[in-house]
Amino acid sequence: MDTGLAGKTVLITGATRNHGRASAIAFAQEGANLLLCTRQSMDLLEETARLVSDLHPGIKVITGQCDVTDEGQVNSFVRKWLDELGSIDVVVNNAAWRARGQLLDITLEDWQHAVNVNIHAPFLISKAVIPSMVERRWGRIINYSGIAPFRGASGQGTLKLACQGLTRAIATEYGKYNITANCIGPGSIDVARTQGQESHPGSGGIQLDIPVPRQGTVDECSATVVFLASEQASYITGQTYLVNGGAHFL
Amino acid sequence: MESKLAGKTVLITEATRNFGKCLALAFAGEGSNLMLVSRDNPNLLEQTRREAQALGVQVFTSNCDLSTESQVEDMLGHCVSQLGSVQVVVNNILFPLPQQSIAEIPFELWKRKIDVETTGSFLLFKQVMPQMIDQQWGRVVNFTGLDAFTGADVMSSTTEMALVGLTRGIAREYGNYNITANCIGPGGIENEEAEGLHSVPPGRRDAIPRWGTPEEVAFLAVTLCSEGASYVTGQCLLANGGKHFL
Repeated sequence: MDTGLAGKTVLITGATRNHGRASAIAFAQEGANLLLCTRQSMDLLEETARLVSDLHPGIKVITGQCDVTDEGQVNSFVRKWLDELGSIDVVVNNAAWRARGQLLDITLEDWQHAVNVNIHAPFLISKAVIPSMVERRWGRIINYSGIAPFRGASGQGTLKLACQGLTRAIATEYGKYNITANCIGPGSIDVARTQGQESHPGSGGIQLDIPVPRQGTVDECSATVVFLASEQASYITGQTYLVNGGAHFL
Repeated sequence: MESKLAGKTVLITEATRNFGKCLALAFAGEGSNLMLVSRDNPNLLEQTRREAQALGVQVFTSNCDLSTESQVEDMLGHCVSQLGSVQVVVNNILFPLPQQSIAEIPFELWKRKIDVETTGSFLLFKQVMPQMIDQQWGRVVNFTGLDAFTGADVMSSTTEMALVGLTRGIAREYGNYNITANCIGPGGIENEEAEGLHSVPPGRRDAIPRWGTPEEVAFLAVTLCSEGASYVTGQCLLANGGKHFL
């Protein structure tokens, strides 16, 4: 199936590994050019770029450092690459930070950092990119929700649902310009976590008593991300697509 | 039906304007003692206090910006010293702003809205939950709105969904202490505009094509906080005349 993504430019934040890296590879497979960024892990980002280039040598892959929670950095990063590339057609707001633990365990500092990454970053990136999508009358924005809002979790559940609210509002406001905004809601996925971001025992992080009784893979998620970005998904907007092995039904 | 809320300590945020005042009077009508809070509207808060007190319950007030941790601490300290531990929180927190396109909203304003409504609620519950846990009983009611489900405004869609999430989190994490947390999603209520919310007038396709009243919302809040609602938790109940079905 032709996804219509060949030649389009896809911006993926936090494309250092796991979901971000898998999405980069999946979009490259569709012939899309990539604009990848990270806040600090440039080594891992370059590794993603090399991996993509080895697999799909014809694809243009650009990497850059950008703190997506910083308004100035986001604006100059987006402006620079819009000038250079002409368009950013798809945005995958993949950068994540989890406020772990229950309400009483979460420090204000950790909460604030999670607010920055999960709410402010997709807001800033969307705000920076949308005017050019409006001009071109085409765009796809894909944000990350998760399993936490459906299981109930004061930290991650709150912030991921906030991100769904942001997504719905973008969908409502910009649908008339052929811009869609959706969320993907991964369940328990087999990923490597940054130190201090692991699911701890008893947190409900990994539960396998679900209809598909195993952890999912990042490739299974990126397939859904590519679908939501495809030309064919043009009537799907404001939604959250759960990729969770049936852990929760909407 | 008896709510068994008589004598309980109920904390209501933004107990001003129409919604908040109506909530205060409804809980006072059940015999609850009230701690009424507002960020910036002492005059309306005082008016609510007088009317609630006239119903024969104890009522205290506090001006408090929930996004400042120390102010939450002071407000709760005042509440505990006057009325004892908090048993019920009705979180009507609101930082009203006119509807704006994502293209126009200054980042500073966006951050302030999230600070007050989302982080403010986080800080409030972080300090209240230990009191409810100690008592092995508690009721939390948060307010979301129609924008969360229609995406009508980017700032309120985001913060209203955050409150749905926070409600589910509290429900999940503290249910084993007989604490329930639920969310009310009003929409199409006659006083919304005065409340600072985006007014949604009755539409021909609404299931109930008229304005709702703040009293209808307050009744739902009292019901969710009653003893009998002890198995209802983590839910979002919409009072919008059928403008949106979950």
